[in-house]
Amino acid sequence: MPVMKTPRNVFLEITNACNLRCAYCSHFSGPGDVQADLPLETWRRFIAELGRLSVMNVILSGGEPFCRPDLREIVLAIAAARMRFSILSNGTLIDDAIAAFLAGTGRCDQVQVSIDGAIDTTHDAFRGEGNFRKAICGIRALQDHAVAVAVRVTIHRRNVHELEAIARFLLEELGLPSFSTNSAAPMGLCRKNAAQTQLTVAERTLAMETLLALASRYQGRIDATAGPLADAQLWLEMEQARRERRERPADRGFLTGCSGPMQTIAVRADGVIVPCSQLPHLILGRITEDDLGEIWRQHPELQALRGRFQISLAEFPFCRDCPYISYCTGNCPAIAYNLTGRTDHPSPDACLRRFLARGGRLPEVARRQ
Amino acid sequence: MNGGSTMSGSREKCVIVNPLIVLREEFDDGALLFDPETGATYGINPIGVLVWKHLDGCRTVDELAGIVCASFDAVPAAAADHIRDFLKTAVALGLAGFAGA
Repeated sequence: MPVMKTPRNVFLEITNACNLRCAYCSHFSGPGDVQADLPLETWRRFIAELGRLSVMNVILSGGEPFCRPDLREIVLAIAAARMRFSILSNGTLIDDAIAAFLAGTGRCDQVQVSIDGAIDTTHDAFRGEGNFRKAICGIRALQDHAVAVAVRVTIHRRNVHELEAIARFLLEELGLPSFSTNSAAPMGLCRKNAAQTQLTVAERTLAMETLLALASRYQGRIDATAGPLADAQLWLEMEQARRERRERPADRGFLTGCSGPMQTIAVRADGVIVPCSQLPHLILGRITEDDLGEIWRQHPELQALRGRFQISLAEFPFCRDCPYISYCTGNCPAIAYNLTGRTDHPSPDACLRRFLARGGRLPEVARRQ
Repeated sequence: MNGGSTMSGSREKCVIVNPLIVLREEFDDGALLFDPETGATYGINPIGVLVWKHLDGCRTVDELAGIVCASFDAVPAAAADHIRDFLKTAVALGLAGFAGA
């Protein structure tokens, strides 16, 4: 896969501060959970560098980006550097004034707000009391100013039985054009709270069945790049390929599950450059000391992540004799790292053979049989 | 507006890039023109990149064609026409404008 000359997208964790402590947050308690934020001037200088590198999209995250009192200045610096931006947020601090400001920039692609329930008790179970109401107020403020809202539903043990109600609430009541899903993943605080938050095999099967049905009913308005829906879509395709004994597709059978290092890079709240916000331990440099373009082109850790595409799954004892090996991608290197200590390894969490061996079921295939 | 007549006429106006548009050279064989106001992107080939870099509002189509001929092998005889079409599209999309306009 070709590597772009400069990153197209850059994630900036502009603050480590957050007004919430969600039980499955991937950020807190990990290496990206740093003590001090950078001053505005440092971010401004770096954003200007991004502009010189012809970066197109900046994704502001944290922590909670709206905790940062000088968020507007950061956004204006992005606009001045001829880029667009998105914001990843819990939504609770968004009011009419900031929504109007974001709309006024003309450069906001979307604000992603996390909503995990159709009612307050479900959403607040892991995010804290009162935060459902605040997040919905935030979404309505954005909608009032025609700022695109991208809701992300993190599926966990407390909302997995409410997915239909959540879809109805988001798409019909709130009138969102679409939403996306993932699930509580073994990173950050979720590792400490895995028993309470992470889906069991049976719940994962249920989530896959329900989400596939909902995705069909709502015709493309529910999507996912990770979590049960993404797993179901990929695994069903793999199962079909296995049954038909298809040839190995060009992009399968190797660690091809993540193309992020070809086009995206990230910066922690302390200015440390990392390949991805989910790989905050992989220190590539610092924005106060290093040249981003040079890191992008030459850093051995980035080269190694890109080199995953050349690593055959056949090299791993974990994959030996797997009937899906020719159709698998190895999935997310960050989850692989959290579970195996290696980024150059397939993610055990995304292993279809293991899922089935533990009693998991592929929903549509099971019905067809 | 200064310069001569229209781009398709005998005395052509010179074209200049819209300074808001970002030229993003992603790979060796191509690039994007990115409009941050709309998020729209337009793919261009290496000849387009070369032309774009010389759209300073001072060069005619024939001069641009000369630059292309000096930089690439086997440039077709209709190169000036192709460049004229490219500029026409770029102006229509707001990626560039006429110098002095």
